[in-house]
Amino acid sequence: MASRSAVKYILRRLIFLFITYVVATTIVFILPRAIPGNPLSQILSNLSRVAQSNPEAIRAAEKNLMEEFGLGKPWYLQYVEFIGKALKGDLGTSITYYPRKVMDLIVPVIPWTLVLILPATIVAWILGNSLGALAAYRRNTWIDKGVLTGSLVVSQIPYYWLGMIFIFFFGVKLGWLPVQGAYSQGTIPDLSWAFFMDALKHYILPFLSIVVSAMGGWAIGMRLMVIYELGSDYANFSEYIGMKDKRIFRYVFRNSLLPQVTGLALSLGSVLGGALITEIVFNYPGTGYLLFKALTTLDYPLIQGVFVILIASVYLANFIVDFVYALIDPRIRIGQEE
Amino acid sequence: MKRFFLVLLMALVLSSLMAQISLPREETVYIAGALWGPATTWNLYAPQSTWGTDQFLFIPAFQYDLGKDAWIPFIAERYEFLDDVTLRIYIRPEAKWSDGVPITAEDFVYALELSKELGVGPGVGWDNYIEYVKAIDTRTVEFKAKTEPLNYFQFLSYSLGAQPMPKHVLEKIRAQMNIKDWINDKPDEQVVSGPYKLYHYDPNMVVYQRIDNWWGKGIFGLPRPKYIAHVIYKDNPSSSLALERGDVDWAGLFIPSVWELWEKKNLPVGTWYSKAPYFLPDGVGFVYINNTKPGLNDPVVRKAIAYAVPYDEMLKKAYFGYGSQAHPSMVIDLFEPNKQYIDYTLAIAMWGTKDGRIPTSLEMANKILDEAGYKKGRDGVRVAPDGTKLGPYTISVPYGWTDWMMMCEMIAKNLKEIGIEVRTEFPDFSVWADRMTKGTFDLIISWSVGPSFDHPFNIYRFVLDKRLSAPVGEVTWAGDWERYENDEVLELLDKAVSTLDPEVRKNAYFKIQRIIYRDMPSVPAFYTAHWYEFSEKYWINWPTEKNPFWFRPAPWHVDTLPTLFGISSKNNPQPVPSWLETTERGGLGIPTAKIFEDIQKAAK
Repeated sequence: MASRSAVKYILRRLIFLFITYVVATTIVFILPRAIPGNPLSQILSNLSRVAQSNPEAIRAAEKNLMEEFGLGKPWYLQYVEFIGKALKGDLGTSITYYPRKVMDLIVPVIPWTLVLILPATIVAWILGNSLGALAAYRRNTWIDKGVLTGSLVVSQIPYYWLGMIFIFFFGVKLGWLPVQGAYSQGTIPDLSWAFFMDALKHYILPFLSIVVSAMGGWAIGMRLMVIYELGSDYANFSEYIGMKDKRIFRYVFRNSLLPQVTGLALSLGSVLGGALITEIVFNYPGTGYLLFKALTTLDYPLIQGVFVILIASVYLANFIVDFVYALIDPRIRIGQEE
Repeated sequence: MKRFFLVLLMALVLSSLMAQISLPREETVYIAGALWGPATTWNLYAPQSTWGTDQFLFIPAFQYDLGKDAWIPFIAERYEFLDDVTLRIYIRPEAKWSDGVPITAEDFVYALELSKELGVGPGVGWDNYIEYVKAIDTRTVEFKAKTEPLNYFQFLSYSLGAQPMPKHVLEKIRAQMNIKDWINDKPDEQVVSGPYKLYHYDPNMVVYQRIDNWWGKGIFGLPRPKYIAHVIYKDNPSSSLALERGDVDWAGLFIPSVWELWEKKNLPVGTWYSKAPYFLPDGVGFVYINNTKPGLNDPVVRKAIAYAVPYDEMLKKAYFGYGSQAHPSMVIDLFEPNKQYIDYTLAIAMWGTKDGRIPTSLEMANKILDEAGYKKGRDGVRVAPDGTKLGPYTISVPYGWTDWMMMCEMIAKNLKEIGIEVRTEFPDFSVWADRMTKGTFDLIISWSVGPSFDHPFNIYRFVLDKRLSAPVGEVTWAGDWERYENDEVLELLDKAVSTLDPEVRKNAYFKIQRIIYRDMPSVPAFYTAHWYEFSEKYWINWPTEKNPFWFRPAPWHVDTLPTLFGISSKNNPQPVPSWLETTERGGLGIPTAKIFEDIQKAAK
């Protein structure tokens, strides 16, 4: 029965995801704590400079904070507490931005990251694959050579470096586009046309830096896949029975796309990682920027919180792609049914 | 996960419902350098409120004016001493919360009692110096100093500087929740005593709006900017770029070669002084020497280190000339009123220079080490007669603090020349801070405290008072990081603050200086800079050396509010308000000397 095997498949995937998720969050819990240093340093040093003539205040605050964050407790108790709360959707309170909840800090910046990453990744994927297929189709022509050389160069450029180059040329030298932030200083986000246009202007450079550098990799991969498929038995056979080139190409294209879909799922994860630095370069108010702040101050709960959500979204993307895969590839569907 | 997406969806919808607002450039002062991350809370009963809460939202009874050493009556109208330990302050009849409710004596009492109960909040720690605070009637608050220990400076700064809190609001909040979790971020619900309140905030920016019918309008006028907006920049370079472009009007930043902005780039940017040192002093930067480490626990070695620090060279090369060498007495002698506390005769006799500053002299350093029997080994490192080797030690500052990193290199080089082996080390801030506060470092460069009402008591206490310290391995942020112990100093400190006789106080400080020169617990190296820059593109009349109406002009400083009353929009120049003057010159500021006179009179 199709539905039963599908349920089994989903269950298996879910259990696997859950286990890897727990392992990943455990690592996220341990790593920042392995760094020597005290997460209260930042907040206390700020306090000690503000309340300079008031040493009693610093004493009291120090004691207060230690209790508040349970930092005096043994690590395993802290871990149990973290997992227990996380399961209930409570990611705790940030240390550096006390008393703000980690959730309250992350939620407002997530839309910015999604708006930047999702379209950029998908556009890069579509453009890259189309170019790669085109190059393979017109193999050994100037198009092929152009795409291949261009892609090889561009795919080796890191996002953030490209970002800096863009800032230098389009922002500083030519002065065409703004170089930092998600919208102009002094505007407050709303749904007006003016704001949309302003945000769009700020969007172009970070968007392009991701699209351009990600595109190359897709094009190279797609080109190879298409060439491989063109040499396969079914393609040869189709040619043999006199099928039109365009029709063969359509079959070949669809088959070549399959591994690229898996690639897309994986890259959604790695692009999130790459975008962290893009956000820092462009001072873009996303999760990457927040994570950067959290790491520099050793804000354990905030670091954990950002990762818990990042990891979850990567897994979710993978999970969804698994199903998309089953939809577009009949072999998987049938294989599961058997 | 589902819940998370729901929240996400809601956030998206909510953010799109916000009304369209764009701040009018001419009426807005843009700020950089006081806020580097998301806003926290606008509630002072939290260890760290968002910048602006303490500066603009909640004002004190009296505001201390460092430049004139005077107290400006803000919420209070006047004070009265009943005897030498009992003070009454009278609240202005005009004083109201932003919701129209009068500010009463109960608001003062409530604010302080709550801080005491929670261990956090405005005036926390007051109960160490004040026996009681009580409401005599709605407009009169009475403070009585503790006599054991009696500390006039702490008594006055806690009582005159007390900030009332809106009892009627806080009581309601406390009935609903733990006050520490209160964010207070709804502009409509904020109840404040100051001339500004929150207008908008998001991960990019925090904006305050002037309250145009502020209760103090008739007495102080209104601060000039309608909006003050702090854009949260990612780092120093991007903030200084914004200042250069005129996007930022008011900044508190470390900017390398700041003079180039006006000398080379011809920008309308300035700092307090137009020539070196460009910035006012903000405190004393020390080379802290761990008094518990073998070798470094010998005063001779510490004195040799003091001789070996290349003061002038490192300030010029590493610090862009933004500070000058500190006086070894630890007193900040750039402010005229402080000079009386330095025993110049002693300092000059001790160090042999014109104003008694320590000369950089490797010769002297070598000489005193030789005399104490430290012999150089084959590797050039000295060894004490008892076999203690002077090194290897480390000197460290946090990674990325480039100016101080360079200073470390220069100090290490000189120390090596006198036979003390020191390596530089630049760990992450939190690691470095951990070593500093636990007393496990060898040598570090770090801050201490700055000029203030109780200077130099505050710095002697911070650096020398072992009661603020903790055993090695236990964290203390309160002071005495180098773990110096001396009971005599404690007695002198207590004497200095419990007397009303200026001569007795001065003598106590002079005696402490004698001890400092003998023991050299750590080396007062240089005055750190009070980072403050301004742009005259949209706003003028900024406080400077030539327009010195306010001496704590940095946007991040807690006493900065009067700055905003003195500046003007470029299109509408206004004079600096006269209330910023002292009473002798027709203003409102009551000189500290007058307050001490009043206490003495009340004692008789």
